[in-house]
Amino acid sequence: MIEVNHLSKTFGEKHVLKDINVRFEAGVTNLIIGASGSGKSTLARCLVGLVEPEKGEVLYDGRDFVHMKNKERKAVRKEMGFLFQGSALFDYMTVEENVRFPLDILTSLSSKEKQMRVDQVLERVEMPDVHKLYPSELSGGMKKRVGIARAISPNPKYLFCDEPNSGLDPQTSIVIDGLIREITRENNITTLVITHDMNSVMEIGDFIMFIYKGEKWWEGTNKEMMETDNQEILEFVNAAGMMTRKQQ
Amino acid sequence: MQAFLFHLGKYFILMWRTFSRPEKWSMYRKRLFDEMVSLGLDSLGIIMVISVFMGAVITIQTAANIDSAFIPTYTIGFTTRQSTILEFSPTIMALILAGKIGSNIASEIGLMRVTEQIDALEIMGVNSSAYLILPKIVAAVLISPFLVIISMFVSIGGGYLIAALTDIVTIANYEYGVQLDFRMYHVVYSLSKSAVFAFIFTSVPAYQGYYASGSALEVGKASTRGVVQSSIIILVVNYFITQIFLI
Repeated sequence: MIEVNHLSKTFGEKHVLKDINVRFEAGVTNLIIGASGSGKSTLARCLVGLVEPEKGEVLYDGRDFVHMKNKERKAVRKEMGFLFQGSALFDYMTVEENVRFPLDILTSLSSKEKQMRVDQVLERVEMPDVHKLYPSELSGGMKKRVGIARAISPNPKYLFCDEPNSGLDPQTSIVIDGLIREITRENNITTLVITHDMNSVMEIGDFIMFIYKGEKWWEGTNKEMMETDNQEILEFVNAAGMMTRKQQ
Repeated sequence: MQAFLFHLGKYFILMWRTFSRPEKWSMYRKRLFDEMVSLGLDSLGIIMVISVFMGAVITIQTAANIDSAFIPTYTIGFTTRQSTILEFSPTIMALILAGKIGSNIASEIGLMRVTEQIDALEIMGVNSSAYLILPKIVAAVLISPFLVIISMFVSIGGGYLIAALTDIVTIANYEYGVQLDFRMYHVVYSLSKSAVFAFIFTSVPAYQGYYASGSALEVGKASTRGVVQSSIIILVVNYFITQIFLI
């Protein structure tokens, strides 16, 4: 479980995050949604320590990540998996090396055990025959799958996915969404998906936090979202091309 | 001036992080060997081609500028050797490598920055600067003196070819000049200098690439800045090293 308390972040004069309070439970897919520039990626970056917030705390199962020493942070980071928007696979490594990399860094498994884990996670994302390929030889959807495989290879407790469907066709998006949800449930991990894709919201949005101009505007399930009369959410949903019951 | 100090401070902070204790030595060992191959062996061809012509041109230029009959022709061999060992091999090769390796380092690291690969390393708890930059600096500092030694031999060999193919100096006189008043200190000085230059032409472009942001265009600009700055710094440092160790 990840708990965020009174988190604020400014860049110069601009207030990017304003007093965010939210709780993300394990075993469900938590979505952070909002328009471009609303602060959702900054929030995710604050959560994983890529950006330092000015105020507030981020608790990973009770451990305050923001105010930890570097050494303690490393221990928490070992429990994180991150799927980047562009997959961020290492260009100079093969798929196999990419997936094995976190195991080399974070675990003390033997070579054989690492190989077994690599085979297992690549099988899990339905990419069993790409071990020796380089990222440049993969399609966008394949890169995302390998990105997921790399993120889950060290058995993380917390999985972050930044715009997992960006640049993918609708069919592949559904597959990726399904994969994220299944992995979350199978391993009972705390998953956070940053997205503005309404299809993802409908498919996997167990818990949704809507962020608007740096503030937490609304939270609830995808069903509740379709029922809400919150104007900003309706505008967001409408802009995404979805016709809600209320709008009809 | 403020911007200069800002970047200088940021550069030293990056170097401090780069030289901090690595997470796992085994990973660095593999990367170090990979970098030695990619930075060193892959540069061998260009080093040899440039060196052979460099030596040939020094020989011809020296011969062309000796007017007096009182200056013996073996001076040509002596001048070729001295110029090659003291300046051309360490400094010109460093400038060539700053262009070849420096741009490569800046664009590789810059691209990793803009495609979030560096963020991915950080999230995994890896000290990204140490992981990416340290093996490159160590590989270049270790391999550069060997490249310079090869360059010295090939350059003096280039002069030898001129002696063999033309009549501006006899082979015997050229060989005599090359061996005349040889001082090992000059070679040590030259190789030490090349190691310092290697540090510069890897760390400065690495700094530029590491802090690149935005698009591929920015990566290109960072790469250019890395090459230009490292070339200028090499020439300035060369002046100070020469002043301190040779005068």
